[in-house]
Amino acid sequence: MKEVIVMNEEIELFFGPQHPGAPGNVGFKLKLKGERVLDVELIPGFLHRGFEKMMENRWWEVNVVLSSRYCVEDPDNMELGYVLAVDDLYGVEVPEKANHVRTVVAEMSRIQSHLFWIMFMGAGLGARYIPSWAMAAREEILKWYDYLTGHRIYHHYMVPGGIRWNVPQDFNERTLHTLNTVSKIVRDIEEAFITNKIVRERTEGVGVVKGSIAVELGVSGPTLRAAGIPYDIRKADPYASYGKVSFEVPVGSRGDSYDRIKIRVKEIYESIKIIEQLLPKINYEDKAYRLQLPTIPPNGEGLGRVEAARGEHLVHVVNLRSRYPYRVRIRPPSMPLLTTVLKYIVSNEEVTIADFPVIVKSLDPCAPDIDR
Amino acid sequence: MSTEEDLLTMLRDRLPKDKVREVNITKWLNKFEIITDPENIRYVILALKGLGFNHLVAIETIDWLKKEPTFELIYYLASIERNGAMVLVRTKIPRDNPVIDSIHDILPFAYYQELENYEFFGITFRGHKGLKLWILEDNWDGPPPLRKDFDSVKYALEHYYKGLRYERGDSNE
Amino acid sequence: MVIKTFKVGLKYLLRRPYTRLVPDREGPLTSDRTRGRHVLDMSKCTGCSMCQKVCPADAIQMVKVEGPWPQNVKKIFPRIDYQRCTFCGMCVEACPFNALSMTNISGWYLITRDKKSTLYNPEKLSKVFETKEYRITMVKSLAEVQRLKKEGESNA
Repeated sequence: MKEVIVMNEEIELFFGPQHPGAPGNVGFKLKLKGERVLDVELIPGFLHRGFEKMMENRWWEVNVVLSSRYCVEDPDNMELGYVLAVDDLYGVEVPEKANHVRTVVAEMSRIQSHLFWIMFMGAGLGARYIPSWAMAAREEILKWYDYLTGHRIYHHYMVPGGIRWNVPQDFNERTLHTLNTVSKIVRDIEEAFITNKIVRERTEGVGVVKGSIAVELGVSGPTLRAAGIPYDIRKADPYASYGKVSFEVPVGSRGDSYDRIKIRVKEIYESIKIIEQLLPKINYEDKAYRLQLPTIPPNGEGLGRVEAARGEHLVHVVNLRSRYPYRVRIRPPSMPLLTTVLKYIVSNEEVTIADFPVIVKSLDPCAPDIDR
Repeated sequence: MSTEEDLLTMLRDRLPKDKVREVNITKWLNKFEIITDPENIRYVILALKGLGFNHLVAIETIDWLKKEPTFELIYYLASIERNGAMVLVRTKIPRDNPVIDSIHDILPFAYYQELENYEFFGITFRGHKGLKLWILEDNWDGPPPLRKDFDSVKYALEHYYKGLRYERGDSNE
Repeated sequence: MVIKTFKVGLKYLLRRPYTRLVPDREGPLTSDRTRGRHVLDMSKCTGCSMCQKVCPADAIQMVKVEGPWPQNVKKIFPRIDYQRCTFCGMCVEACPFNALSMTNISGWYLITRDKKSTLYNPEKLSKVFETKEYRITMVKSLAEVQRLKKEGESNA
């Protein structure tokens, strides 16, 4: 395979949060022998804000504002996880219209996150011109969010019991217009960047996680699907309106970085398909979009499971008859990506220091949600 | 619905009565719930792994200080071959001596989840070699912060603000 | 292949840039729902301090304003600290008397070099922004609350 210069000395290198190859606010302690990475240890905690504790000191409905903030790139799936858990605690069925709109918003968030990741991946490979088009496509989605929810990054659009505002009358046309623009740019990116020979040579056969071992590493989402396991919570345990739409779950065969790139691009098309199916189902005459819930939920527990852009997002809430949650447990999707998966790759394969950023970025971790 | 009941009877048959207290379907979201004693946790997790529940999603601790002096640990295990079915293994350990066996050699991801529970709740996992502050490393010398008897506001005022409260802009009042 | 990359790349080279000249050349992006600076209607506010209780960022404080306020016995009104405000709109939603509302005044109008000027007193909040035309973008009416409550009861 590749030629690796090996010296006999082992050195430790801090691969820190400021490094352009680092995936956000995390550091790594790399053990190097020459160019080869022997061991990797994650150093989190640069962005710890204590969300689980903060949520215990705020009202149930106000926590929606916090719930989107631990992952910048994929805020709506995080919101949806919390909101589903609280709905479950109340034991209510939200109106159909709210479910449809929630699904549309969550899928837009997935597209937006994957587009952001294309730029992220390009930065890891040293290619910035073509991936920057993805940011232009993301800008279109952010404008769409501003139009629908009033904010660009953190939307706070979902509330326990439905959605916060009704959809505008021209929602259908506006959404289709945005999707058209986005899919055109994504197609160009696919032509110019994903099938590019240089990108393929750089990523093929690098960072292989394959087969059933991936399951035990605790990873889910696109990384697990690239490993050849067709597991998607949207199919396995349908929430919101995912039971009412048909879509495919793209699966990889080799489990390397290139497979993960391909799968994320395919997922963008699948998300567009989901939104296009749901738009005609939204009834504009229907006035029921939000249930007014009592301020104190019943005693008990609630669980929300969401397939976020990076994998399984799980929220567990416990109530002891109070306006404040007794306990909120958030399990965001990125933690296994940078701990077990990265350790597995490094111990199974000859990873050089040059490949390391490529592998890390192809896993698409969202560093803030490890710290919370 | 029948597949769920099949799975429930299967779980009841395969897990021995002396190791497991209860196997139920929870009323929220139709998840399976197994209640067990802390000394059997390794046995139960191994048995569940043999039944296909080999995807550890999370380990959670709840501090039940307001009800009883115990910590409850919840292990979320999913099975991918059984189409994403989820089992919650729940066990309670005393609050004054929070020790439980580690399962990180059975499921590797448990290593990091246990580390998180150690630093936020102070639960010691027997057999875990790397228990240390991880997310809070170099930033924290107080008690485990997510315990219910820990007053975060008081601690922050004493240690970070030198007893001063944050003042908003001009403080004319 | 690589030649294809150049071909598609040339197409994008001729496009208009997506970046915008901020702050004052093009102004901030706003829509009909953009949540920006609050406007306080002091003749409606009763000083119930719901907005203060609901605020997740602890940005609102109730301060005393002297004057003839028949509906506000305690004479307290919200004061918003825009260093802390996250523009989530929870205060507007919680206000039972429709006194607080949000406008689309956002972006560079709120940028300042003097930290003290981010603290908006009730008098300053109740004034309309001087130079720029603005729209009310978020308001919650009592009628809507009651209607939603009725629907919730019939559904539950």
